[in-house]
Amino acid sequence: MSGSETPAKRDGTARPSSWPAIASIGVATVYLIALLGAEKQSVIISLLVAGIAAVLAGGWFGIFGGVSRAFSEHEDRMGLLAIVALLAMAAWFHEDHFVLLLVVTVLLTTVATLGLNIQFGYAGVLNFAGASFFGIGAYTSAVLNTTAVPHLLVPLIGGALAALIGSVLLLPVLRTRGHYAALITIAFALLFKTFLEVNDVLGGPQGMPVKGMTLFGWSLNDNVEIGGITLSFYMSYFVLSLALLAVAFVLVRRLERSWIGLNLDALRLDETAAACFGLDITRWKITAFLIGNILIGIAGALFGTVGGFVGPNNYTFADSLILVSILLLGGIGNPWGLIVATFIVIVVPEKLQTIQEYRFLLYAVMVICVLLFRPEGLLPRPVRRYFPGWRP
Amino acid sequence: MMKSGKLAGAVIATLVITLAAAVAEAKDKVKVGYIGPLTGGVSVNGIGGRNSAELAVKLRNADAKTKYDYEMIVLDDECKPNVAVQVATKMAADKEIIAGATHYCSAAAIAAVDTYHKFGFPVIVWGAVLPDITYRNKYAEIHRVNGTMINQNDANAELIHKLGFKTIAVIHDTTDYGKGHNEYFAKAIERGGKAKIVGTFGVTADQQDFTAELTQIKALNPEVIYFGGLTPIGVRIRSQMDKLGLNAVFDGTSGIVSDAFIQGLGPLAEGTLAFREGAPTNKLPGGKFFMENYNAQKYDNPPEAYGAFAYAAMDMLIDTIEKVGPDRKKVIAELANVKDRDSIVGKITFDDHGQNMVPVITKFVIQDGKFVEWDESEYAAGKRKLPGQK
Amino acid sequence: MNAGLFAQYVMNGLMLGMMYALVAVGFTLFFGVLDVIKFSHGDVLTVGAFTALATYVGLTSAGLNSNWLALVIILAVAVMAMAALGMLIARYLVMPLRSAPALNTLLITLMLGTVLRECVRLFYPQGANPKPFPALLPRSSIDLGAFNLRLDNVLMLSAGVLTIVGLQFLLNRTRLGLAIRAVAQDEETARTMGINFTAIVLITFAIGSGLAAFAGVMNGLYYNEINFGIGLYLGVVGFAAAIIGGLGSVYGAVLGGFLFAGLQTVGTVLMPFASAYKDVFAFAVVIAIMAWRPTGLIREKISERV
Repeated sequence: MSGSETPAKRDGTARPSSWPAIASIGVATVYLIALLGAEKQSVIISLLVAGIAAVLAGGWFGIFGGVSRAFSEHEDRMGLLAIVALLAMAAWFHEDHFVLLLVVTVLLTTVATLGLNIQFGYAGVLNFAGASFFGIGAYTSAVLNTTAVPHLLVPLIGGALAALIGSVLLLPVLRTRGHYAALITIAFALLFKTFLEVNDVLGGPQGMPVKGMTLFGWSLNDNVEIGGITLSFYMSYFVLSLALLAVAFVLVRRLERSWIGLNLDALRLDETAAACFGLDITRWKITAFLIGNILIGIAGALFGTVGGFVGPNNYTFADSLILVSILLLGGIGNPWGLIVATFIVIVVPEKLQTIQEYRFLLYAVMVICVLLFRPEGLLPRPVRRYFPGWRP
Repeated sequence: MMKSGKLAGAVIATLVITLAAAVAEAKDKVKVGYIGPLTGGVSVNGIGGRNSAELAVKLRNADAKTKYDYEMIVLDDECKPNVAVQVATKMAADKEIIAGATHYCSAAAIAAVDTYHKFGFPVIVWGAVLPDITYRNKYAEIHRVNGTMINQNDANAELIHKLGFKTIAVIHDTTDYGKGHNEYFAKAIERGGKAKIVGTFGVTADQQDFTAELTQIKALNPEVIYFGGLTPIGVRIRSQMDKLGLNAVFDGTSGIVSDAFIQGLGPLAEGTLAFREGAPTNKLPGGKFFMENYNAQKYDNPPEAYGAFAYAAMDMLIDTIEKVGPDRKKVIAELANVKDRDSIVGKITFDDHGQNMVPVITKFVIQDGKFVEWDESEYAAGKRKLPGQK
Repeated sequence: MNAGLFAQYVMNGLMLGMMYALVAVGFTLFFGVLDVIKFSHGDVLTVGAFTALATYVGLTSAGLNSNWLALVIILAVAVMAMAALGMLIARYLVMPLRSAPALNTLLITLMLGTVLRECVRLFYPQGANPKPFPALLPRSSIDLGAFNLRLDNVLMLSAGVLTIVGLQFLLNRTRLGLAIRAVAQDEETARTMGINFTAIVLITFAIGSGLAAFAGVMNGLYYNEINFGIGLYLGVVGFAAAIIGGLGSVYGAVLGGFLFAGLQTVGTVLMPFASAYKDVFAFAVVIAIMAWRPTGLIREKISERV
């Protein structure tokens, strides 16, 4: 991140210690448990203020340089640790339906924004219909969960459908640029919501209930009792979502570091130059658009099942905008930033009851401020690393 | 999810706390819930219901004999099915909330019933009229103090026949509420056999422009336009009828029985028909008691058409908790035994689906900017002619 | 279909088209001078309509009875207030982001739109509820068979046509218009010619936002009802109209506006069994048009510097 640091040796023996990263994950976990568990508004507000102060102070004293270096050096280990931390958090709230639902929402929204990240962040393909593709997944689960299709396959089918329906847009998306391209997905987002509303088969404006998942004869909508401890039924969904996020995260990371990611970067930065070097622009744009939609669709299908209900009003253009602004807030192209941003966008308004009514307003003002004063997002994407341990 | 309800909820909570603290300090605190539309086009009904439910809580907390100190948690379903499921989950997942008086909008209520069942959260519906809410499943958690839309449409069709109208065009919103009205109204008209439905148009609940549908209806030239939907689009459709020079009697449902309908249309509202189950609030057994106490609180909004039912629902929940204690399962078991229970809306008896029987239907017509009972109106007496009557 | 019914459909379509066109013209003007899409445009329309309503409420409580005078005053107040708001937006949100990626401008104006919309919802008294808008125009009408010709619709349409013709005159026949077109064509050259770039941009935003306020009042007069969400829909439709017309061309925007309204009306007439699908139909055609003409019907002249 900081170019002024002395370059690390490439032999790997002098890698920076992983302790700053481990410590930061530990602190973050304890903080989140305290925040999620807090009920009194005064406690929540002081926790939030303390959190902001800590981040600002950390930035002032420059300790984040060490943390982010440790993260990028030991990413695999940190990833595992983050999973352990999330599991610990879930174990703490094992009985608390609502907190678990909140955390599951964060996990699945992150998966969806990871998909958008491939499109916006890597390939530079605009998609202002993220919520629509999320909705395609959710409606798939609403329809298929009542049939004999194995429930574990439903999210995959949801992802495939999102990609398939999205591919109708490929021709206009490929032919247009800039604002004209933005219109395509915006028009699609509006068309999709109106279609759901006027179409009777899928419940119309009324929406439809989604049956819970049944895996190998075991209904995920029942509470689990193990040795006298009752686990909320959201726990099973939490485990599923966490697994999905882990897979998606690794996939996106691998994709970014592979030559595909390199091609996508070239394409985003300068289409003409990329074409001059022999890159097949059409092919990479299609790839990014489809992979992104698959991820969004899978997350949507799982979310539909968890929420237990789908309706057209969940998947409007405004919801798509929220997904895009999470991307921007986190720092386009940085998966770690997305997790942080999703937590902020979903958990904070939910806990801060007093601002409930004003949350959209505050949220929009916050995005405007980020765009004006920190246009690269909270955690900007670091410069590409071409070799392990290499830093520019 | 929650908008103005939150702030109001906070204010109410503070009020309740201070009030209760003055009465007794040692009582256990028990939370009960209220859900209704506090924002959007039908918010007046939701706010009227909230005030009424809050009144029930306040009166009870002021009584020294009560065992618990009640706090009412208020959530806003925005009259939207998806939001209703979200807030229902939020309320039912909170173990401290024992029971709730929920929903004015049928579209919201029918979406949320599965959630209440999943979490074993007892509710009494206070305003939604779709039969399916209690009758689609046999959930022990779901009860309803107000009646359903079936009798409403029977009375409606009867009046249409009595007035001798022959052709009717139907506009309904495509939520379960509007679809239900369309279904039961069509059945009732068919049974009568004298009038004919010449066209049926489904519209979405947030549609703005109805000129396309109304132009088609104009070509059909019906005597009556039946509207199965809520106040906001009712106002739009009635005013755009006027713009297109479409003359027909406007025949609404309980969804437009609200002062907001008259305010939104002004003089155009004159002569609109509407129907609601239950006697008018001032003719209810406890109507006078309710209105006096309601007015004493100096709320900004009137209780509206279903305020008395919201009061009765909340009152019954508190009664039950007083009797069996703050335990959801016991509350559900106790509510199954409600028979001939006195309330301000009359005797309440829940059948095996938790449905109260409300046989009386009140026919309304808007006369000089007020909802007037049909039989007492100048229209029924023949002194005036319904606007649009051919 | 008889002639009267046909005329009624045409009239409905023309009224819708005029509102769309007025919004689309704003989009195209902003794009002309700054190459940006200002997505808050639709919500400026909402704020304009609510400003007009608030002014009207103020006027009635002050005891003003003349409908015509009230109309002139609320229109003037709404247009001036929105022109000022447009300038502020341009100066403090759009211009500072000129060097940032186009996505940032798009998002910041989208978010500003949310801010405006939420402010109306939260801070206008009972702003979450639909508000009745006074019918200030004469309501007389002539029945021609199935066609109901209303004087107020005719007046609104004529006012709209006059506004667009006036705008064309301003752009093509005045020094200010010359300067706006110069800036739109080439900023650098325009600057060297002594044109005050910032001033021209601000004036253009003022004109566009004033038009939005005009469309907002017209929307209120036509439907006799406004709510905080009207701008969201009209903004998106206006944007779509500007794009299919071809950004940067006023005629393109007008064409796009009427085309979109035409599509909706045709959708209704062709699919009487499913008139609710009219928007699905209209947006699907928009996507198809973009696949066919990627830079709009009246093509924008693009020269790409490599």
